[in-house]
Amino acid sequence: MLLSIIILTGGRGDSVIKKEMIAMLLAGGQGSRLGVLTAKVAKPAVTFGGKYRIIDFPLSNCINSGVDTVGVLTQYQPLRLNTHIGIGIPWDLDRNEGGVTVLPPYEKVGKAEWYSGTANAIYQNLAYMESFHPDYVLILSGDHIYKMDYQVMLDFHKSHNADVSLAVMPVPAQDASRFGIVVTDGQGKVREFQEKPEHPKSNLASMGIYIFSWPVLRDALIALADQEGCDFGKHVIPYCFNNGKKICAYEFSGYWKDVGTLGSYWEANMELIDIVPEFNLYEEFWKIYTKNDIIPPQYISEDAKIYRCLIGDGTEVYGDVSNSVIGSGVMIGKGARIHDSIVMSGSRIEDGAVLDKAIVAENSVIGKNAVVGCGEEAPNREKPDIYRYGLAVVGDDTVIPEGVRIGRNTAACGNTVPEDYPDGQLASGEILDKVGASG
Amino acid sequence: MRAVGMILAGGNSYRMKELSNKRAIAAMPIAGSFRSIDFALSSMTNSGIRKVAVLTQYNSRSLNEHLSSSKWWDFGRKQGGLFVFPPTVTADNSFWYRGTADALYQNLDFLKNCHEPYVVIASGDGVYKLDFGKVLEYHIAKKADITVVCKQLPPGEDVSRFGVLKMNENCRIEQFEEKPMATDANTISCGIYVVRRRQLIELIEKSAEEGRFDFVRDILIRYKGVKKIYGYKIDSYWSNIASVESYYRTNMDFLKKEVRDYFFREYPEVHSKVDDLPPAKYNPGSEVKNSLISAGSIINGAVENSIIFKNVFVGENCVIKNSIVESDVYLGDNVHLENCIVESRDTIRANTYYNGDDGIKIVIESDERYVL
Repeated sequence: MLLSIIILTGGRGDSVIKKEMIAMLLAGGQGSRLGVLTAKVAKPAVTFGGKYRIIDFPLSNCINSGVDTVGVLTQYQPLRLNTHIGIGIPWDLDRNEGGVTVLPPYEKVGKAEWYSGTANAIYQNLAYMESFHPDYVLILSGDHIYKMDYQVMLDFHKSHNADVSLAVMPVPAQDASRFGIVVTDGQGKVREFQEKPEHPKSNLASMGIYIFSWPVLRDALIALADQEGCDFGKHVIPYCFNNGKKICAYEFSGYWKDVGTLGSYWEANMELIDIVPEFNLYEEFWKIYTKNDIIPPQYISEDAKIYRCLIGDGTEVYGDVSNSVIGSGVMIGKGARIHDSIVMSGSRIEDGAVLDKAIVAENSVIGKNAVVGCGEEAPNREKPDIYRYGLAVVGDDTVIPEGVRIGRNTAACGNTVPEDYPDGQLASGEILDKVGASG
Repeated sequence: MRAVGMILAGGNSYRMKELSNKRAIAAMPIAGSFRSIDFALSSMTNSGIRKVAVLTQYNSRSLNEHLSSSKWWDFGRKQGGLFVFPPTVTADNSFWYRGTADALYQNLDFLKNCHEPYVVIASGDGVYKLDFGKVLEYHIAKKADITVVCKQLPPGEDVSRFGVLKMNENCRIEQFEEKPMATDANTISCGIYVVRRRQLIELIEKSAEEGRFDFVRDILIRYKGVKKIYGYKIDSYWSNIASVESYYRTNMDFLKKEVRDYFFREYPEVHSKVDDLPPAKYNPGSEVKNSLISAGSIINGAVENSIIFKNVFVGENCVIKNSIVESDVYLGDNVHLENCIVESRDTIRANTYYNGDDGIKIVIESDERYVL
């Protein structure tokens, strides 16, 4: 006992950092189903709801739940994520002890490896977790929109004497085969798992949120150290299950949205415009925090027409905008018409341009009188699974030249020039990729 | 930057009428998402000043809240920082700040302990952007004792609430009148001064000995023949907000594209405390024209030529014209406002009508919200 105390105190005098629960936030995934939206940024850094980024939701949930130690695991395109997180000031996660720490993969003696799977990423950061002497570790992913009090889930975990708790929620029966499905005994204890089953036995889907008792997680990760692409859903949870650990399902009933596809991403944004949206950002008691780069108010001009919109700070509107979500610092020129669309921060929609069911990512320019989203739908020739839903998607830092017409189920990214558009158009179902990044 | 900043933010003015019942002038909300003092603080931090003291006295609660963290202006540093100094009782002083010079005198220890050779003194009621580095260069080049930042107002403008000055061809100030009833000059002092720190300490100590407490009257005017006091003319936007009319006009100036571009889009930017508010929301029924709308607001009615501050709810069929609605205001359905300034945290009941007619009406209604 004495020996362990000596080890614990190493280098810090008598005080030992002790956090009951720390969070590990998986933010390294590309999110390839978002197509060109994630060409330059990791999925958690994609903007959502005008001024937020997807990662703001789990980070805000953490601080609102009293979890003040968060390790963010990054790998794919981390620049924007790193600048966004910084030292955690927007979420009050700039702490003397704990706070937010960005954890990229690193080289070790004799080997250097990427994070090969979700659990492998956590395994490679055992030392980080150990330094906080946690009792519980919360595993989160950076691609869901929801508000959840993790403390309530922890209470559930404790009161059920669980080794592992997973958050689950009921999904419509026809969607159940897209998720990991959990079958419980009615008391919360998990009896069976089905990973994306053809014939689901229940409608409780795993939300990718786990609380582990620390020794259980540590032992499982060490036991599975050599597992290639070690993944929570595929390896760690089954391992714990097969070793007789008590796994419980915490049923969550609030709003939760996976924004992993362009369709669900667009839909979740549009839902925010409802008069009283199911997911309400205007509540005082569970604020969502984000890094505010732009402070000034937005300006709506004499000629502008605005109908059912969310508009971010510092945006100037001279055209017509309806049923749309507009980010911060956007410029919408005279005579421009934007309908059923998402325009992310820093983009410029020039005079007379038309957007219809379009998504325009950050810092892009839509030239004068260009039309994004027009004509009949046609399935995308190369990536019909990604570019569908009738959406026209424009990537980050993209230039769309004056007067061109872009069809539906399309993607465009990079500095495009008029020569890229035969007959001045990009037909429905085509991809125009000048940076080699359309996913 | 070899200067320390002092911001005189203790003042009140009867010209602000009811608006100053709630807060010091330096904390007046400006342009939707700023407060007046942000402009002085931002100019200082953008000029590379690392250490700033804000001297507060009158009704400083709101101002203190705004300054509760120095990180928004990048003053949260190990070297320098943002300090707020209200008057305190000490062994040899039991007075409030009896004037601007007295405020500096009561904080003389702070000035003495600084190592920066120069001091930039500014007030908290100006809306401007200024590179103090340039003013300091000018001050050094002129071998001035004090440099006064000044601006020429268009002829015919009322200057009676400013310090009015006349300079010779070398820009040395020869005449300086404080708030004259009638004058033929139209160059006014912006209330921004650069002075060598040792020089300032000496002048302030001497004035205090003589029982003189006002920086303008007892130092600038009294010493103008003895000390080399120079004027530094600015042509860029500058506006003082310390009267209801000028407060209203300054806010409305932000509806002009060139003013917005200057403050919001041109480098360097103006910093302010960040409130974590969602984007503004426009519901069916909203009809907004030529207006500024701030974060967190929900618009259901018509807004024209107006400034809507943060977290404002505009009910259905409202008509808001030529008005300023401060933060956290709830406007019930069918409210009609013209030429008004609605005080923050107000709750205006449905079907209320207010019109400032030719003047500007200050609307203060603190009905409890849950009653509605």
